[in-house]
Amino acid sequence: MRLSRFGQDIAHVDLASGRMEMRPAPEAWVRRYIGARGLGVRYVLEAGPEVDPLGPENRLCFMNGPLSGSEASMSGRWACVTKSPLTGTVTDSHQGGWSGARLRWAGFDGIVFEGCAPRPVYAFVEDGRIELRDASEVWGLGIHATVAFFRERYGEKNLSVNAIGPAGERKNRFAAWLNEDDRAFGRGGTGAVGGAKCLKAIVIRARQARSQVADPARWKEVRRRALDAIRNEANITSPRKGGLSVYGTNVLMNVTNRIGALGTRNSQKTSFGDRAERISGEHVKETILVEDPTCHACPVACKKEVEITDGPWKGLHMESVEYEPAWSLGSNCDNDDVAAVAKLIDQCNDLGMDPIELGNVLSMYMEASERGWVEPGTELAWGDTHAMVRLTDAIGLREGPGELLAEGTARAAARLGHPEIAMAVKGQAVAAYDPRGLKGMGLGYATSNRGACHLRGYTAAAELGVVPGGAPPVDPLEWRGKGQLVKVFQDLHAFSDSLDLCKFSAFAEGAGEYAEQYATAMGIEFGPDDVMAAGERIYNLERHYNNLAGFREGSDTLPERFTREPSSEAGSRGHVSELDAMLAEYYAARGWQAGVVSDAKLRELGVV
Amino acid sequence: MNASSQVRVRFYATFRPIVGGKHADLPMPEGATLGDLLAAILERWPALREHLVEPGGSLSRRANLLVDGRMVRFLPDGLDTPLEPHQQLDCFPAVAGG
Repeated sequence: MRLSRFGQDIAHVDLASGRMEMRPAPEAWVRRYIGARGLGVRYVLEAGPEVDPLGPENRLCFMNGPLSGSEASMSGRWACVTKSPLTGTVTDSHQGGWSGARLRWAGFDGIVFEGCAPRPVYAFVEDGRIELRDASEVWGLGIHATVAFFRERYGEKNLSVNAIGPAGERKNRFAAWLNEDDRAFGRGGTGAVGGAKCLKAIVIRARQARSQVADPARWKEVRRRALDAIRNEANITSPRKGGLSVYGTNVLMNVTNRIGALGTRNSQKTSFGDRAERISGEHVKETILVEDPTCHACPVACKKEVEITDGPWKGLHMESVEYEPAWSLGSNCDNDDVAAVAKLIDQCNDLGMDPIELGNVLSMYMEASERGWVEPGTELAWGDTHAMVRLTDAIGLREGPGELLAEGTARAAARLGHPEIAMAVKGQAVAAYDPRGLKGMGLGYATSNRGACHLRGYTAAAELGVVPGGAPPVDPLEWRGKGQLVKVFQDLHAFSDSLDLCKFSAFAEGAGEYAEQYATAMGIEFGPDDVMAAGERIYNLERHYNNLAGFREGSDTLPERFTREPSSEAGSRGHVSELDAMLAEYYAARGWQAGVVSDAKLRELGVV
Repeated sequence: MNASSQVRVRFYATFRPIVGGKHADLPMPEGATLGDLLAAILERWPALREHLVEPGGSLSRRANLLVDGRMVRFLPDGLDTPLEPHQQLDCFPAVAGG
């Protein structure tokens, strides 16, 4: 596996005809957009920004980055890139585990799917070959049964299965792809695009391949430096010592709760009070944690596998109780039953949906029910976990009120006549950081190129004081300076998402570590400034796509709840999001006019 | 503060194994500041020193102390801020995820 070949082995699969062709990515694209997220966006743009996301013209790209599957730490990531049926923007989502690595080991840097298959198929990938095979036996099955079916057929060893579930088959707009470890391409409805294309699964069988580079000694040295940073006990990534490693992502629950950044009851409140402890990472570790699984080449092991030993969900064994769904299906739905949270996550995974959007659509529907805006007899009460489980099934299967809610939070609220209770931006629901308590995250939601998202620019790292390298913490309640801060994080993450390294690498590594690993892998000169320049170019490429797709002036917004209804709890009491002021700073830093990137800027960055 | 006030201090994540619990009540004298409370915490749990303060004695940038949910490092008077009745302190190590 010669890393410097990256970009040479891109498969193009026409699902309508079944034809597969290998075509190298244009050299200029690889140089400008690096791989994974950036390269995938360029392929999606080539299909045209006006395509119907659920039509045959839309491309569904599964892309590795130049470091995916290598020995670099935290490189078990790959990207799914397409035009989103949820937002209408370009979207990319990233998945951990071993699937991306196995695709690389099987001889592919990426697969670009086009067209729609005439009947359900799956792609079988092995030894440089891709075959479309009949999926009629698994069409209709949940993710877990689909994985079990393929393991039975092909064996468990060296096998990855990525599949859509019943939700994706029914074009649920927030359907996801999940693999054998329940790691998801979660956000943006990429699973619905798979369903529209009648592509049920991608099954990859490959043995581990060693990386080959021009300077092996240097490769070893730069990887060691990055690993040392991850292992550094001062960093939250430190194996079995740092908070992220010990408790997983849900270590965040208590701190966001105390600072008033934990949305509760559809973000009507900003804190869950003392009840947050019951769904926190600390509580999970004390009561139901059984294992800490990990991903390819990752010493952090942030995944948290749990087992429920009593109550109605007794016997459930699942991974992973993450912070995002613990919030979306927990405090945001007024639910403090961690076993029920685990049940709902597992059910959401099996149906193949994004649990962030699911929790938001449920909490929106709970608020609508409370206000008398839903059809009598279909109400959903706050914290009614058994009803949540029933409605989750209905959403996955598009039955009853689930037909409406499968359209996503924003569309469903609009059809109920009350778009103001959808906590969403550009059609995608917000994540687990209330913008009144973490001001940078609110600006990040508003300016994210894939709709509300916490992962485009994770300023919480600065606002909670976990940026590596001695950078001072930033006041989460201060809006000044957040424009530049959001831009820096967005650009840095656009690059790491294109390598493709786990987002959590940024808790230990910076542009320097990214640059030297990329440069050594590719055998080129590349420095920290080049990292930030490439990240900015990718971010502007995405924005250019969205501008062409109709997202113009005024598209970067937040729900008025965040800008007009002051927090009444915890550390953020009295605060709103000062979005307009932050946007002015941000656009100045970006050189954009009201959210629109100019031709001159595109030329300056080498996008066109 | 009144002469015999007890201040509730709550601990989270990797601090819990160090202190052996989720919270503790510390007696603080009248007129005590957040700095006095921090000193009392370090006296009772010396193992927290490397996590809570920099070698020069300032608050560690890697830990978050919250009073009423506000980060102490961003209060106008920082550790010189007087403790008020019924206030609670939350002690977090560096945490993030998402």
